[in-house]
Amino acid sequence: MKKIFRMVVCLMVMTLLFGLFVSTAGAAYPEKEILLIIQAAPGGVSDAVGRAMAAAAQEFLGVPITPTNITGAAGAIAMGKLKSSPPDGYTVGYVPVELSMVKALGYADISPDDFDLIMRTNIVPAALTVRADAPYKTFEEFVQYAKNNPGAILVGTSGTGSIWHIAGLALEEAIGTQFTFVPFDGAAPSVAALLGKHINAVTCSPSEVLSGVQAGELNILAVLGAERTQLFPDVPTAQELGYDINVMAWGGFALPKGVPKEVYDKIADAFYKAFQSETFTKVMKERGIQMAYLDGPAFAEFAKQQFELYMELIPKALGTKKE
Amino acid sequence: MPEFLVALTHILEPGVFLYLVLGTLLGLAVGTLPGLTATMAVAILTPLTFWLPYERGLAVLVGVWNSAIFSGGISAILINIPGTPASIASTFDGYPLTQQGKAGLALGINVLYSAIGGLFGAVIFMLAAFPLARFALSFGPAEYFALGLFGLSMMIAVSGTSIIKGLIAGFVGLALSLVGLDPMLATPRFHFGNPNLLGGISFIPLMIGLFGLGEVFHQMTLSMPFEEREKTPVGTLVGKKLGRMLVNAREFLQTLPATLVGSITGVIIGAIPGTGADIASLLGWEFSRRISREKEKFGKGSIEGLASTCAANNACLGGALTTMMALGIPGDAVTAVLIGSFIMYGVQPGPAMFRDRADFVFTVIGLMILVNIVFLVIGFFFSRFVGGFILLPKPIMWSTIIILSLVGSFSLNNRVFDVWVALLSGIMGFLFRRYRFPLGPIILALILGPMVERNFRTALIISRGNPGIFFVKPISLVLLVGTALSLFSPILLRRKKEESV
Repeated sequence: MKKIFRMVVCLMVMTLLFGLFVSTAGAAYPEKEILLIIQAAPGGVSDAVGRAMAAAAQEFLGVPITPTNITGAAGAIAMGKLKSSPPDGYTVGYVPVELSMVKALGYADISPDDFDLIMRTNIVPAALTVRADAPYKTFEEFVQYAKNNPGAILVGTSGTGSIWHIAGLALEEAIGTQFTFVPFDGAAPSVAALLGKHINAVTCSPSEVLSGVQAGELNILAVLGAERTQLFPDVPTAQELGYDINVMAWGGFALPKGVPKEVYDKIADAFYKAFQSETFTKVMKERGIQMAYLDGPAFAEFAKQQFELYMELIPKALGTKKE
Repeated sequence: MPEFLVALTHILEPGVFLYLVLGTLLGLAVGTLPGLTATMAVAILTPLTFWLPYERGLAVLVGVWNSAIFSGGISAILINIPGTPASIASTFDGYPLTQQGKAGLALGINVLYSAIGGLFGAVIFMLAAFPLARFALSFGPAEYFALGLFGLSMMIAVSGTSIIKGLIAGFVGLALSLVGLDPMLATPRFHFGNPNLLGGISFIPLMIGLFGLGEVFHQMTLSMPFEEREKTPVGTLVGKKLGRMLVNAREFLQTLPATLVGSITGVIIGAIPGTGADIASLLGWEFSRRISREKEKFGKGSIEGLASTCAANNACLGGALTTMMALGIPGDAVTAVLIGSFIMYGVQPGPAMFRDRADFVFTVIGLMILVNIVFLVIGFFFSRFVGGFILLPKPIMWSTIIILSLVGSFSLNNRVFDVWVALLSGIMGFLFRRYRFPLGPIILALILGPMVERNFRTALIISRGNPGIFFVKPISLVLLVGTALSLFSPILLRRKKEESV
């Protein structure tokens, strides 16, 4: 009997100790390695930003940050996993523009409200690019041509409902004409089809068309984002030319909803320092990724606006192609 | 030519050579283990090689890439699991050769002809980068459709004994390829509310399951005493040697046309954006079969078949690199990652690079040539060493394959879901073997089905619904006529024969 009693007491003491341990966990954060979920395959922009941030931020947090790529369903799988992870600060995720899109696309019930956003790190504006031998040499000429020939211009996109398709739709609406959208499996095949004279225009990011423009084969007519791009400082934005279009891809970092404030502050602080560090900025510069910082609350506001915009635009995008 | 000399000094530097060897060794591991792909390896190594001078970093990446594509054939030959998707066609003839007790020869062919194909690709890249890239661009949706359809007509060639069973398997593959987002409308299809299926069934776990687990389950459950089982397929080698690895002069001459056809196909398929070494290896095999004098041997252990597909998937790399470097457009998945690597080294791929950074271009070409010689030497010893695996007792071999298959399936996307995919396809592969359905047609349909579907519909959007687009384009027309001929000529020939009787 005595033995059993002793064991029970022992267990109780251990449980108490364990409880103490857990309650002090917040103050001691971080005390183990942090998992960083990247929603895209290795090699792309999301992966580059995610890995650069992991490398830079672990210096400031003092524990290793391990990036892991979980792909599928336009990032919805990874974001779903992040959403359902315990909000203890040991799981962080990279969130791309699709954070505001996947619900409207019908892939998953995910919206910016499901997360505690840390910061926005980068933006990628859309741009209108055509072949250099096309009959239109400027954005104005393109607009005229498109108006005179509704439906005649074949615009390649990186997939129906993708961000670059949305850019094409926004352009169509602002001009007040019609394009024929041709969906490809990603932006690169659409650029190849443009070079090979199978389509007339693309509305993807400037970096995708960079080498074609440098070679004099392609002509970038306008940036469809709010600001000019560093890659082509001479190319005007559509807004400068009087057309109200602002479509861009973006990315940032997020935590599952409900992270304790002191943990959130520690991460936000470390990530901000990392954002300014040479480790991070060097990779951004080398990869030609446009840095665009917004702090947590501002990013949340921005992502929410984008979410509302896409809830409106994407059903149109999916509807346009239904015959 | 100072840039040429700069590149030459880079390549001849011992440090660069060491990194190339290091990359090649890494690539051997990546290629041989199912589930690890060249794409993944290059993507993960890029940030790690960043602190190296560019010629050394490139040496690692080029080494891993080339040797992973080559060494994927080793597992295809020895255990019937393609190490990477690029080696699918190596199972067609490679594994039958192993079953016939000629594993050594098959491994030797894999090393030698991969190197020949790789050299061919690199030389074409050096001599004709721009014309080849131009030609690749002429492939639009109509041409992709025709090419895919031509490839699908191969289903009959890889059907084995029963064409009906082959076609059933093929249509199972086509049905599986429909799962996921509709390529045009982005509407989810057959995903049963599971977001894991939105992107379609992951190909690599499916392939690992069908080939690897299916084969193991089949061998484990063969209803015969254990001693008998030891003698079935792989068991025939127990206690014996691998046999000679080198081809003799007669065999070399015999495989020459097939190798050439395989290499040319590989370079062209590589150069066409969006098609990679997997499609190159399949089509290289098919084109060689068409010109071969011993068509009937293909799929049953033909050394011509194995040589052509080994040459095709490595020749593909030079082609893919051509489009990537000449136009800045990725020729396949690995070059898509390599664009990022190049940009990190401060070089933007595209025509401007040939003018401004000729030293860089020459360095890449030099490494692409050198790597083939490096893996030719290392690969021979490595193949001989790994070949010993099939001499192990069966239970050890089976459990190793099961563990590797499951870990490989998980590591691809870090999703447990993919492990289930592998297990389920393992059971499917087992049933297929048990009831003697061929696996080739399923894989063919899974790789080419989506390409055919997407491009058929894209072409019709471009032509605004006019099917004439498939017949007015010369490349598309030739491929379609070729497909029709291959499908109907046996029937016509037979009828003619009957009439003359």
